[in-house]
Amino acid sequence: MKLPAMVRLTVRNVLVNTDPGTMFFMLGIPAFYLLVLGTMFQGLIPSFTQHGVTTSYTTFLAPGIVGMQAFTAGNIGGGMLWADRRWGMFEQLLVGPFRRADYLLGIMLVSVFFSLAGSGIMMALAFLINGDFNITILGAIILMAVLVLGSIFFTSLFLIISVLVRTMNAYQTITFLLFFMLDFASTAFYPVTPSTPLVLRVISTFNPLSYIVDVVRDCMLYGVSYSAWVGTGIITLLTVIFFYLSLVLYNNVRTGL
Amino acid sequence: MSGSYEYAIDVENLVKSYDGVKNAVDDVSFQIKPGEIYGLLGKNGAGKSTTIKTLTTLVPPTSGNVTICGMELRKKASQIRKLIGVVQQEEAFDFATVERNFRIYGMLWEVPADKIQSRSEDLMELFNLKEIRKKRAFELSGGQKKRLQVAREFIHDMQVLFLDEPTAGMDPIMRRSVLDFVMGKAKEGLTVLFTTQILEEADYVCDRIGIMDLGKKVAEGTSAQLKERFGSLKKLVLTATDRIPAESIPLVRAKLATVPSVTQYEVGDREITVIGKNMGKTVYSILSSLSSLSIDIDQVNLDAPSLDDVFLEVVKK
Ligand SMILES: Nc1ncnc2c1ncn2[C@@H]1O[C@H](COP(=O)(O)OP(=O)(O)OP(=O)(O)O)[C@@H](O)[C@H]1O
Ligand SMILES: [Mg+2]
Repeated sequence: MKLPAMVRLTVRNVLVNTDPGTMFFMLGIPAFYLLVLGTMFQGLIPSFTQHGVTTSYTTFLAPGIVGMQAFTAGNIGGGMLWADRRWGMFEQLLVGPFRRADYLLGIMLVSVFFSLAGSGIMMALAFLINGDFNITILGAIILMAVLVLGSIFFTSLFLIISVLVRTMNAYQTITFLLFFMLDFASTAFYPVTPSTPLVLRVISTFNPLSYIVDVVRDCMLYGVSYSAWVGTGIITLLTVIFFYLSLVLYNNVRTGL
Repeated sequence: MSGSYEYAIDVENLVKSYDGVKNAVDDVSFQIKPGEIYGLLGKNGAGKSTTIKTLTTLVPPTSGNVTICGMELRKKASQIRKLIGVVQQEEAFDFATVERNFRIYGMLWEVPADKIQSRSEDLMELFNLKEIRKKRAFELSGGQKKRLQVAREFIHDMQVLFLDEPTAGMDPIMRRSVLDFVMGKAKEGLTVLFTTQILEEADYVCDRIGIMDLGKKVAEGTSAQLKERFGSLKKLVLTATDRIPAESIPLVRAKLATVPSVTQYEVGDREITVIGKNMGKTVYSILSSLSSLSIDIDQVNLDAPSLDDVFLEVVKK
C-alpha cells in the first residue's frame, strides 16, 4: 500500500513520540489530574453549579482536561520542528523523498491525531470515573472541530517558537512557562468568576486555552449556546492568524528547493 | 535502471554564497559518470559540505548549472530527491532505538516491509550494530552513530549517494569495511560523491579526486594522475641520531629556506621532513648543512609523494 508523503511523515512522527516519556506527558499527567485532583477536590467541593447546571467537580474538570489535550498535542507536534532541527532530522528529511510542505503537514496531522486520540482517552477515563455528560450530535461535531482547530493553533504557536528559539535551555524554559500560564491560568481547573483574583482573571481572559475549554465544556455539559459559537469563531480566527505566521516563519527557516 | 544520461552528476560553474559577500563554493565544475566514486578533498571550510548541500537540494545555488541523473537541479528538485541518498556530515537520528531508526527510515522511503526487515538485519550485521540494536541512537558513541547513519541510508535504493565524511570517528577496521561496501555498491552501478579528510582513504576508494580550497576546485584527477602531476616532488625524511637542540631548530629552518628546490619543510626534535623537487641532488647539500650545525643523521628516507603530500602542495598555493 502506497502512503502519501505527508502520511508517512505523520506515521514517523507518531512512532518517534511513543516513548514512555512523551506518553506520560501526553496521557499520564492529564490522567493524574483527572484521577487524583478530580477525586480529591470532589471531596471538598461536593457539587458545582454553572449555567444553571449542577455537576460534580470531576464532571466539571473533565472538559478542561479534554481541552488541554489540544495544547499538549500542539506542543508535541510543533516541538518536533525544534527537535528535528536540533538532532539533524529536519535537514535529513528535506533531502529525502518529500517536499517542504509535506514535512509541515506531517507535523499538523500528528498534532491533530494526538489531540483527538488523547482527548478521546481522557473522555473515556472521565466517563468511567464519574462523568455525567450531556453531548448532542451538534455538540460532538463542534467539540471535534475545536479540538482540531485548537491543536493546529498550538502547533503553529510551537512552530513559531521552534523557528525563533535555537538553544535547548531557552526552548525548555519558554515551554515550561507557557504550560504553567496556559494550563493553570485558564478555565480548565476552576470557573473564572468575579471573585477570581484579578491577575488570573486577566490572563484567563486572554488565554486561548480558556476559549477552547469553554467551548468543550459547553459541548460536553451545558449545551451548544451562543457563547459556544462565539468561542469557536475566536478560536478559528486565532488559528488562521497563527497558522499563517508559522507558515511565513517556516518558509524562512532555510531556503531549500 | 540508469536513465539516458552521460553524467550522473554534472556541475558547471557552481557558485554558492551564504551571505552574498563571500563565496563558499566559487565557480566549481566537475562531472561524475554513473558508477564512479568521486572524492572531494579540502581543508576545513574549503566548501565540500556546501557543495553537497547544494547538489542535494538543501540550499539553493547562487549561480551555475547542476544536473543530477539528467535532471536540472532548479527545476526537478523533488524528483531528484527520490533518486539520491545523503549521509550528512552532521548527525541525524530519530529519537528511537537503532533498529527502529532503520524501520522508520525504510517506511519513509516506501521500502516494502519484508525488505526493510531483511535489509536492516543485513546492514546491522555488516556495520556491526547487532549488539546495540536496542540502544537509543543518542546513547551511541560517535563512531557507532556514524555507522548507523551510513548503514541506514542503504535501506533504500538510490542512483546517487552523497557521503559527507562518512567514516569520521570510525575505527580503521570498520572504516575499511564501510569503504569496501561502498566500492561494491559502485560496481553495481551506484554513483558516489564522497568527502573525507583522510587522504589515504580517498586514495583507496575514489576513482577520481577533486581538491577544493577556499571554495575553488584547485586540482582534479585520479590519485595516480595527481601524484604524477605533482610527482617531481619527493619527500625526504631525515632522522637525527640525537635530539636536535632547541636552539638549532631555527638555524635548520633558516638553512632549508635557502635551498631553492625545497617547497616545504618541517623540523621536529628528531625528525626533519623536507618536500621538494630533485631531492636526490639536494639531499647531499642538506646533509652537509646539517653536519655543519653538528647534527648527525642516522637515517635517510626518500619517498614518492603520498596523496597527503600532493594535497598539502596543492592547497598551500
Ligand atoms: N549555513 C551557513 N551560513 C553561512 N556560512 C556558512 C554556512 N555553512 C557553511 N558556511 C561557510 O562556508 C564555508 C564552507 O563551509 P563548508 O561547510 O562547505 O566547508 P567544508 O569543506 O565542508 O569543511 P569541513 O571539512 O570543516 O567540513 C565556510 O567558510 C563556512 O564558514
Ligand atoms: Mg564539511
